[in-house]
Amino acid sequence: MFKTDRISALKPELEAIVGEGNVRTEEAEILAYSYDAGMAKARPEVVIAFTAPEQVAPVVKILHKAGIPFLPRLAGTNLSGGTIPLKGGAILNLSRLKKIRQIDTAARLALVEPGVVNLELQKALEPYGYFYAPDPASQKVSTIGGNIGENAGGPLCLKYGVTSDNVEKLEVVTPDGEVKTWSYRDPGPDLMSLLVGSEGTLGIVTHAWLKILPIPRYIKTASASFNSMDDAMKAVTRVIGDGMVPRALEAMDSVSLDAALNGKESPFPAGTEAVLIIELDGSDAAKVTRELDDVKKICSSSGCAFFRVAAEESERDLLWQARKGAYPAMARLAPDVLVEDGVVPRPRLPEALRQTREILSKYKLTAGLLFHAGDGNLHPNMVFDRRDIQEVKRVKKAGYEILKSCIALGGTISGEHGIGVEKRVAMNWLYGRAELDFFRRIKEAFDPAGLANPDKILPVASDARGEEPPAGLAERASLSPEARNVVDELRLRARSGAPTAVTGLGTRLKAERIMEGAKPLDLRALRGRAAIDRENLTARVEAGVPLGEFRAQLKEAGLNVELPDLKGSVGGLIASKVFPGLRDVLLGLEVVTADGELLELGGRTVKNVAGYDAVKLFCGSMGAYGVIIAATFALSAGARRQHAAFEEPAAWDAFEPDTLHLRLKRALDPGNLLNPWIYRGLAQ
Amino acid sequence: MLQHKTYTDETFDKGRKDMDSTVVTAVSSHIPSETNELYLHEQAQRHLHSLLTDLGERGLYDAAAQCNRCGYCETSCPTYMLTGREPISARGRNQLVRLLVEGRAKDPSIAAESLSTCLLCGACSSACYAKVPTPDIVLEGRRALDGYGDNFFARAAVKTLLDAPRLFAFWLKLGYLVKKTGLPRLAAKLGIYDFLGMPGLAEAEGAVGHVPLRFAAEILRKDPALHPQGRTSVNWAYFAACGPNYLFTDVALATVRLLRRYSGEGIFIENQCCGLLAHNYGRLEDAREFARRNILRYEELKAVFGDFPVIADCSSCAAFMKSYEQLFTADADWRPRAAAFAAAVKDILEFVPADKLPHAAQAELEKAGKVTYHDSCRACHGQGIRQEPRTALRRLAGKRYTELPESDWCCGGAGAFAFTQPELSSRVLDRKLRNIASVQADTVVVGATSCLIQINHGLKAAFPSARAVHYSSLLDELTAPEAGGGHS
Ligand SMILES: Cc1cc2nc3c(=O)[nH]c(=O)nc-3n(C[C@H](O)[C@H](O)[C@H](O)COP(=O)(O)OP(=O)(O)OC[C@H]3O[C@@H](n4cnc5c(N)ncnc54)[C@H](O)[C@@H]3O)c2cc1C
Ligand code: SF4
Ligand code: SF4
Repeated sequence: MFKTDRISALKPELEAIVGEGNVRTEEAEILAYSYDAGMAKARPEVVIAFTAPEQVAPVVKILHKAGIPFLPRLAGTNLSGGTIPLKGGAILNLSRLKKIRQIDTAARLALVEPGVVNLELQKALEPYGYFYAPDPASQKVSTIGGNIGENAGGPLCLKYGVTSDNVEKLEVVTPDGEVKTWSYRDPGPDLMSLLVGSEGTLGIVTHAWLKILPIPRYIKTASASFNSMDDAMKAVTRVIGDGMVPRALEAMDSVSLDAALNGKESPFPAGTEAVLIIELDGSDAAKVTRELDDVKKICSSSGCAFFRVAAEESERDLLWQARKGAYPAMARLAPDVLVEDGVVPRPRLPEALRQTREILSKYKLTAGLLFHAGDGNLHPNMVFDRRDIQEVKRVKKAGYEILKSCIALGGTISGEHGIGVEKRVAMNWLYGRAELDFFRRIKEAFDPAGLANPDKILPVASDARGEEPPAGLAERASLSPEARNVVDELRLRARSGAPTAVTGLGTRLKAERIMEGAKPLDLRALRGRAAIDRENLTARVEAGVPLGEFRAQLKEAGLNVELPDLKGSVGGLIASKVFPGLRDVLLGLEVVTADGELLELGGRTVKNVAGYDAVKLFCGSMGAYGVIIAATFALSAGARRQHAAFEEPAAWDAFEPDTLHLRLKRALDPGNLLNPWIYRGLAQ
Repeated sequence: MLQHKTYTDETFDKGRKDMDSTVVTAVSSHIPSETNELYLHEQAQRHLHSLLTDLGERGLYDAAAQCNRCGYCETSCPTYMLTGREPISARGRNQLVRLLVEGRAKDPSIAAESLSTCLLCGACSSACYAKVPTPDIVLEGRRALDGYGDNFFARAAVKTLLDAPRLFAFWLKLGYLVKKTGLPRLAAKLGIYDFLGMPGLAEAEGAVGHVPLRFAAEILRKDPALHPQGRTSVNWAYFAACGPNYLFTDVALATVRLLRRYSGEGIFIENQCCGLLAHNYGRLEDAREFARRNILRYEELKAVFGDFPVIADCSSCAAFMKSYEQLFTADADWRPRAAAFAAAVKDILEFVPADKLPHAAQAELEKAGKVTYHDSCRACHGQGIRQEPRTALRRLAGKRYTELPESDWCCGGAGAFAFTQPELSSRVLDRKLRNIASVQADTVVVGATSCLIQINHGLKAAFPSARAVHYSSLLDELTAPEAGGGHS
């Protein structure tokens, strides 16, 4: 397959770093690393195993110099072909890097190596009374590195966020072998968050500082069974709409349930079509009990047939075993399973489910439906036998149609499993040319040689030919006339090469900072009323709206956004990142690039791992990577939580750009047209 | 097995690339596949005709193809956890065998390391929702390895055991004697142990401390109370497993005492080896012959006494006998007979009635110290026995009983594994020892011979104050009438 053996010559050098026996090219090793839990396959040329994190950078340097592609691999449980070496090269096997280096309950951080198995970390934290929130169903085997690589989520992310929200800091080896340490709190564009979910295409995580939380005093778990899926979904929408934030709100249909029960007696009445698992937690027993009562009321008035609160730990375990075992249990039904991972805005779940079922029956497929209902994240698990070519075709077609239906409903193609190679095609439907081009520039800034996990995430030429995008899918945001003006103005300036100073309300950016010759672009006009989606609990707001005003509009609607009181416009707050925690509630951005292209990044769903997390990259970008014209936030319905008075850092723009910041700037704004004083040294 | 159908690597990708708009209406029926490129048809006798899996009877290909590569078993696999290498993992082993069956990997020898490092512990199957029978798949792969099961020593040992058990006993005793007289090197040199197919035995009996010069079968045979003659019914029949028979005579005698104490009178079945030794050496046809002889013996007795349980006191042996049916899936005559025999087999671990046990006497308890239970692989993964022995031990030892963390993590003994893969085996053992140390147990209760050897071997070096004992031995000690127990 590979004409020349490019490995033999490097072997001694590599072995000098990782030790003998850790650079393997035997046939069995090659075969065993040519698959993962997804469907794609390709052979690597060499498998390099590490025994210490420090070995990664020098090995990457050697491979980089030799022009050999590489990709990091851990448990290989990802479901999108993320660890398939499409261009051969090296598999970097990090699974022996599994030390938990430090658990610091005072700082609420755990420092771990990437190979630590998620559940092992949980076990280590338990004696201290702490937990790490992301809990993918694969947590028994999947690792922190892999969770970061895919931005994995689990039932608990409804309340506690996905992996990205629970990472404090990362040590990363870049594709050219440099070691970097990035935190989302660092001044400047958020590189750390960009790494999360980048599937090994931007760098390799060698150490992670994770946020840990005290285990809540009271946890109550209930299960509710329904005779119709629609009723179950109604209950979900109402629970969330009521302002409750359950610790988890999961759903499964009867096929999944049967598979997971594996012949054990079902605890639910006959005729059960859908089961919800609802878990509440808190430090106040009375409040938890009260909320549980509310949930029960909502369920019974939504047609719930059977509601039961788990009486003891063992019953609770049983429920979770059924939920978390539902995917692997599909293996009982047929030898192969393809799981889709689309997300839709929560209120559209019933529609999405109906369409999914129609598609499945059209293609005569058996599937278990399993989903993170609270997040609107759906997993139809289609079972088949890959040895049956016809069936494989039907599965693939059905999968694509399901993704298209999610996009059409305003959702996205992956909530947590990643794009890898298997959903690459669908990126063409979700994003326009401009967004894909933007992602490509990010990739090139990090990995100009294209060696880090090549051909993943971003569609390649053959994908466009593979499957036509459905007409009218990517509906663009409707811009206000003021916003239109901003876009047009920037397009003009891009053409003439005129530098721009992006100014908001002038809260932080003082006039004397603005470099001479840069023409101000006033965003104050972007001040339309926020578009609030009451049911989905999201709002789109234009960049020039002051946070206070945004908050007031939300309040009128009985809603709020969980942010401390901050001065300045929404756009300015994002760009200056004076409050780093803002990223937790930021779902989407509309940005105009230096070329005058309008980008729609992120979306209206709480989970989205399709493409790079550029939304977070703009946090702290200080107007130098693009002009933010609107943002979409996640809202909450209940009473506003307490926020400690927030002390703004004095020198908010005192930041030493990292080499990667510079490279990104060069890729995104080669003419240094936007806020040119920030990257003064760019020309050199 | 006969037709050589191969599915190309690209099946799936092709599927997605040349999708046309025709909607295929046929619902796939997962028809059994006959693909088999692993071995030639002439070799079929050396292999299992089919595997009896949790999902029904499957050909090797279908059994291996049931693995959807989810990876859920990986953290249960001791060899993967220690090496971090996919080919040395459960999923890797299944995939390699699958590739061989499909003919996409050409030569079984490429998988030799992967297959020979498997402990056959079955922890992977326990973790797997589809209960993919990895150990059986691995054994099938091993049987396709060139020369596997064909080396002189293995053949000679199995043959002697099969055709001349008394000669086998003689050689073994000779080996022990040479050792006793302080000439162990001579024994090693003479290749006696090798000849017996137990190359590590020299070291093993070192761990045991003393070796029996009268084997259990010889003692039990002489006990008139255990003879079937003159009886009309029996409550049980004792099956002397090789470990207790040839190495741990005390265990065998303790088992018989226990059975008498709590289950009434029974007999010694005068059995042959269960066949596991031959089976694990790759000599399937010999294993079948052992099985047939045991089944015949059982049938003779059953004709007289009707149904009775066959009790074995080594979990490896009991688990293997429970799987006899799988040896005969292509044999219409023997299959039902094997199934009937298998149904009668009980491990002593599940047979002692916990509710009849007394609370043990203080002095005996003190001697035992802190008691913990190690799940022998072939008990927990092989037979699903977990609760019964714990219930009994808790009842006897009360607060002195402690749960062992990761109690079902293999000890690394795994039959001959400790001898063939000493390095990996000792790393597997280390983790077991660390867990034992973490609860400061004095007595580690086990149900299989190889665990007894392996754990004691480890404890002797690391924590000489602790010991591993067989379940039967401890129960016998704690409930012996002279120890003040025996009354419920
Ligand atoms: C039974 C089952 C259930 C699952 N349930 C869930 C679920 O509930 N939620 C969920 O989100 N996912 C789920 N998944 C998918 C999968 O478990 C996750 O994607 C998981 O995060 C992958 O972890 P891993 O250790 O297997 O990583 P791998 O599969 O080995 O790698 C995943 C990706 O991360 C990259 N990567 C690996 N190491 C590093 C590193 N050190 N630095 C940077 N990138 C790296 C790899 O190149 C690859 O692209 C499930 C999978 C299975 C089989
Ligand atoms: S053996 Fe079972 S648990 Fe292991 S990868 Fe295969 S299907 Fe998954
Ligand atoms: S039998 Fe044991 S060693 Fe072998 S693959 Fe399964 S878990 Fe791993």
